[in-house]
Amino acid sequence: MSTERKLLVVKDLATTFHTPSGPLAAVGGVSFDLNQNETLGIVGESGSGKTVLSRTIMGLQPRNNVEVSGSVLLNGFEVVGASEKEKRSIWGLEVAMIFQDPMTSLNPVMRIGKQIDEILRVRLGMDRQAAKAKAIDLLDLVGISSPAERYNVFPGELSGGMRQRVVIATALAGSPKLLMADEPTTGLDVTIQAQILNLLEELKERMQMSVVLVTHDLGVVATRTSRIIVMYAGRIVEMGSTREVFARHRMPYTRALLEGSPKVSNPSHTRLLAIPGRPPNMLNLPKGCSFAPRCSFATDRCREERPELEAASEPGHTFACWNPLPVKERASA
Amino acid sequence: MLIVIVFIITVGAFYLIHLLPGDPAVVILGTGDSPANRAKLYRQLGLNKPILEQYFVWIKNVVRGNLGTSFISQTSVWSTIKTALPIDVEIIFLSQILAFAVAIPTAMRSARKPDGWLDRILSAGSFTLLSIPSFVMIVLLVLFVAIKLGIPHTGPSSYISLSADWIGNLESLALPSFTLAVGSYVVYYRVLRSDLIATLQEEFITMARSKGISQRRIMWRHAFRPSTVALLGTAGVNIGGLLAGGFIVQYLLSIPGLGYTLIASIGRSDYLVVQGVVLVVSVGVILINFAFDIVINIVDPRISRE
Repeated sequence: MSTERKLLVVKDLATTFHTPSGPLAAVGGVSFDLNQNETLGIVGESGSGKTVLSRTIMGLQPRNNVEVSGSVLLNGFEVVGASEKEKRSIWGLEVAMIFQDPMTSLNPVMRIGKQIDEILRVRLGMDRQAAKAKAIDLLDLVGISSPAERYNVFPGELSGGMRQRVVIATALAGSPKLLMADEPTTGLDVTIQAQILNLLEELKERMQMSVVLVTHDLGVVATRTSRIIVMYAGRIVEMGSTREVFARHRMPYTRALLEGSPKVSNPSHTRLLAIPGRPPNMLNLPKGCSFAPRCSFATDRCREERPELEAASEPGHTFACWNPLPVKERASA
Repeated sequence: MLIVIVFIITVGAFYLIHLLPGDPAVVILGTGDSPANRAKLYRQLGLNKPILEQYFVWIKNVVRGNLGTSFISQTSVWSTIKTALPIDVEIIFLSQILAFAVAIPTAMRSARKPDGWLDRILSAGSFTLLSIPSFVMIVLLVLFVAIKLGIPHTGPSSYISLSADWIGNLESLALPSFTLAVGSYVVYYRVLRSDLIATLQEEFITMARSKGISQRRIMWRHAFRPSTVALLGTAGVNIGGLLAGGFIVQYLLSIPGLGYTLIASIGRSDYLVVQGVVLVVSVGVILINFAFDIVINIVDPRISRE
């Protein structure tokens, strides 16, 4: 595997927040890479560190009381340790983000057109006319009808789905090579979710982008990603091609996530299996495997010693578990 | 709404003046004159009628646009107000320009790093200023600034009108404007600082950051405008308060604005001038707040939509 072809190489990335109650390791020891034009899914429960991870990859973590270590090589640019000013050169143009909640991620007192063409004007130096024309094209591209009129509306005049389209248009304005989509459909109605995801997929092909799709919903990543990372308590617990992870996952947490997702093939009124217990307190992580307290397979070793990622049978598939599920066990999915 | 408020204020003011000790007849005729002459003057001026009737005579004239003529100085109340009001407007205007010019950049600096050393210094400084009342501030300014720089600061000739000499005018209004600016600054700084801090936590600021635009642009183009709603509301109330409460500064520096006129007229039992000033000030306060409400609606489109 040569590093040259990789758009993104993440090594031993750790993000620690200094909170009044002590250091909080939101992300720890994360390593993975991403090819050009690939879509990678990052999956985990709320609080598993996936949002922090996606922001740290961009270097967009809060400016105060945060410590980042490791390495993020984004198209040859080392993000970790770069100053805000240096990172500004890649933000918007190399990497852009689609935020989770379009109700809060758009400036409520700025016309949407101005929010889209800001990158064009400020970063690409386009003049007012050209930027406006491009912004209207972008609105059209993301499927907003009568884009010329919509250019002048405020976010409050649009529905959630429309706003998320505006957020996507804003992210695309600088033609980034990498698009970080942080739960892009969580704040939307179910009927709108598929539309937005399909739009993203279409735009990815059209604009030759790589996409990191962060979600808690395995259904979202199942058909739209080539690879999946499963996160728990700030660490990668399983990683592999989407097909492999769905079919031959080894980590009990991955299975629990799968069993917690509704499936069309289930008879109606099937009870979903909830994962017992709660995500761990990130300020006070268990000594061994973070999932051990909630895991029905946990042994003393799990509670004492943290498992590292190890290779499964298929290349590229790794998992962190002392008592992995047997390979022959096909996914109940 | 406006009419109801003005009615309540003017009725209240009318009664309160008549409760005060003092007698226009004594002011006009002197203390030595006979009671009979005073009674005659009372009848001439209509002061012998019940207060309620006096009020209705007055308000009827006001509605026709006539504020009356002062018993004491024999000049029309409206012309007295017309000469005094521009001074208030100018002082308030200057003080607000100054207050905003300092409050906005300092609040932005503070909000950039809340609880950083600069924020601590600015916050501590603003609290110190807050605890100095305007009448103390004026005395300190006269002592340490005006006397040293030779700025006119006392006596009836200290005010120079704008049309006569604009530099002299600015000099003569520098102290009162500065004093009022200090009080306004503290309030504006604190309100804007806390709103900016809250706005900078918003997700749309992170999104703006992710576009790779400068910190300065994020502050001015993204954070400032949504943080000004409380600031504008406060400014409306504050400016109204300055119009109504500017008399302390004006009186101490002998600046013949509305506040000064009001105090002087109360001392002379010049009922009609007091009434006229109260009317103009109360209408002014209401209009100022109304104007700021409109500005707030323009600044934040969310408000008018709700």
